[in-house]
Amino acid sequence: MTITANKPRKRAAKKPPHVHTTVVIGAGFTGLGTAIKLREAGIEDLVILERADRVGGTWRDATYPGAACDIPSLLYSFSFAKNPNWSRTYSPSAEICAHIEELAERFDLTKDIRFGAEVTSMAFDKAEGRWTVETAGGTAYLARTVVVASGPLSESSLPKMRGIEDYQGAKIHSARWDHDFDFAGKDVAVIGTGASAIQIIPELVKTAGSVKVFQRTAGWVLPRVDVETPDVAKAVFAKLPLAQQAARTALYLGHEAAATGLVWDTPVTTLIQKAGLLHLRLAVKDKWLRRQLTPDFRAGCKRMLMSSDYYPALQQDNCKLITWPIATLTEKGLRTSDGLEHHLDAIVFATGYDVQLGGPPYPITGAEGAVLQEEWSGYAQAYKSASVHGYPNLFFSCGPNSGPGHNSLLVYVQGQIAYAVAGVRAVVERDLRWLDVRQDVQDEYNVQIQKRLRSTTWMSGCTSWYLTADGRNSSMYPGFATQYLRQMQDFRIADYEVASHSATRLWNASQAPLTAV
Amino acid sequence: MAGMDMELILQKIKDKQWALADIDWDAPGAETITEEFRPKLKAFMADLCWIENVGARGFAALATKAPNPTIAEIYRYFHAEEQRHANAELALMRRWGMLEEDEIPEPSVNIRMAIEWLDTYGDEMPLSVLGTVIPMLEVALDGALLKFLLEEVHDPVCHQVFERINNDESRHIAVDFEVLDMIGHAKARKLAVDFVGNVASPGLIIGALMYVPLLNRTRNNLVGMGMDPERLYTAMARFEKLGSRGEFTHRVPLYQVIRQHASMVINPKHPYHLLANAMVTISEHYPKALFRPIPTWFKELTYEPVTKGVKKGMNAA
Repeated sequence: MTITANKPRKRAAKKPPHVHTTVVIGAGFTGLGTAIKLREAGIEDLVILERADRVGGTWRDATYPGAACDIPSLLYSFSFAKNPNWSRTYSPSAEICAHIEELAERFDLTKDIRFGAEVTSMAFDKAEGRWTVETAGGTAYLARTVVVASGPLSESSLPKMRGIEDYQGAKIHSARWDHDFDFAGKDVAVIGTGASAIQIIPELVKTAGSVKVFQRTAGWVLPRVDVETPDVAKAVFAKLPLAQQAARTALYLGHEAAATGLVWDTPVTTLIQKAGLLHLRLAVKDKWLRRQLTPDFRAGCKRMLMSSDYYPALQQDNCKLITWPIATLTEKGLRTSDGLEHHLDAIVFATGYDVQLGGPPYPITGAEGAVLQEEWSGYAQAYKSASVHGYPNLFFSCGPNSGPGHNSLLVYVQGQIAYAVAGVRAVVERDLRWLDVRQDVQDEYNVQIQKRLRSTTWMSGCTSWYLTADGRNSSMYPGFATQYLRQMQDFRIADYEVASHSATRLWNASQAPLTAV
Repeated sequence: MAGMDMELILQKIKDKQWALADIDWDAPGAETITEEFRPKLKAFMADLCWIENVGARGFAALATKAPNPTIAEIYRYFHAEEQRHANAELALMRRWGMLEEDEIPEPSVNIRMAIEWLDTYGDEMPLSVLGTVIPMLEVALDGALLKFLLEEVHDPVCHQVFERINNDESRHIAVDFEVLDMIGHAKARKLAVDFVGNVASPGLIIGALMYVPLLNRTRNNLVGMGMDPERLYTAMARFEKLGSRGEFTHRVPLYQVIRQHASMVINPKHPYHLLANAMVTISEHYPKALFRPIPTWFKELTYEPVTKGVKKGMNAA
């Protein structure tokens, strides 16, 4: 292990290793957004750890054909770092990644990013009031505060399917696309029909010889009106940022309205389902295919799918939807339970991400030696999705119960950034050794969250990646984005136990609430 | 019987999957089918394979009514397994030289009616109806038809195939009767409402009008092929026996109706057959033009163990 800014040993005694104010883990949308806002708050001594060799996060990695956002780009971006030039309503992944790269340039963040720095563990030293963040290269970083901005969709792996080792053809995961494989004329299977699959399938159908789509559960699909942004709109947005903000606000409010049906299970949910069924009725002629594509769960319970070209693609002559269970993979393809073996040149696993419901993939050791992943092995919980008792000076983005079902993730992330910045400022401005959320405050918050979750669509009986194995929801936020933002902009020091560097006594500064920007 | 661990059953189902490719369809033994027996066997196998396919569609309807997600998943497998049986039976027909290149046997008019009924009403039928009728058909298939077939046919490949089919079916029947018992556990009021509500529904009335001649036609074909009607007695007695093991099964009104009906079917002297056979004759004259186009799910059967690429239309798995 080496320490950053380490000096020759004889001088080390005189000059202790440098302790950064903040380490930000991840240089995707969230990490860079955090860095921008920290700088704006006057926190200059920060370092961003990125395991890859360039910025972009999920949007750097999601390069499968057809990859794009399913929330309009105007809303799928930060309000404090707009892009007037989005080419389409729903921008493709390469454009989103380019925007993230442009943010790094525009805000001069690259100098603070350590590329190739994959975090392997983190531990808090209560006496010194600092985190030690170790990386795969052997370098360790010390920081008073840490913001985990590694995103919910950073990990992916091939599913544990029977016979997966036996299959000798190409195995391609949607999150790690193999651009060297030429699909032209090939017989291909796509396993999964979620958000990635519905973007991949229409593209594959254009080039592959055949595409067999293996579906386990049909999702709700609403049409996605994806058009090129007119040049005049780009020009207006560039000259009048207020006009872009107005468009963004309109989109925001539209999505907020959808919460009445997508977050809570209400008659509006039924209306959304009617719209989904109408879309299906208009797009698919065959009655049996429609039946196969009709979901059997309440809209919103699983992620809504937005696509206007998925249903038409399935009906192309070289495409077929197969709903038989997959019995096993074989050397040459796979077998379905109707007794047939399908020979395939490639299998695309659009089986989703390894969502980090149990915490980041590296161990985080808290103030008293507890390991976060062990505490979260049943289910994860935090205070306002950002702070966890026993893990001081640490702020999560996309933490437990922070997910939106109806609005832009980045709107929520903006709230998380505001909260983390307020927390970091509290540590710096009050010269705190540690700032640890109170257990009783965290418990009470989670009781309320779980109570509010009961009437949501996510708990209406389907199984989804939102839920843990025993059916607890520790991923989604039960409310409007507006409610979430309000709670995230309200950082209350009274919710925390703190110890200052100047005084070792425990105190609770309930008299001085600090409000986030 | 109560308290069967459905998770374990589901795991077992997943572990016991087999495929057409597991069987050597060119192994010796096909020559044991005599020229004289072939046409009769062809008619029987065609009906059998379509009944399996219709049964498959029944499970698809059941899956949406399942009492819990595990049972829904089990039905999803059963749906596929019935399809597998139909595919395997087609492959046997192909092996026995009963099918020309790409030929798929023509479904009888009663099968066409069953398809049309299932396609129109199947998904609307409540669990208490589907969950009662399907076990009855499965017991009849398993108990009477398949055992008879194995006695008449001496092709080892046929035995190999039906051993697998029988193993699947025994799991189907175990789950069927467990669910039937669960249905019987419902409040008497719900059972009565479900029953009365559906007896009066056009779906069930048309269903009965379809079911009576279908059953009699199959029975007549079997007796015509030399099957001892005693076998049907045994099969129906089994339906009753399996039903009586469940603590609550007897409370399902439709179970009682089917049980009574079965005792009429197996009694060749019962006046019921006058009616039922008349319905077979009438159905023969049912104008084909009235049938709606064959649904696409019906076109998925194939005798090919391996598929490559996508084909659409008949025999397009």
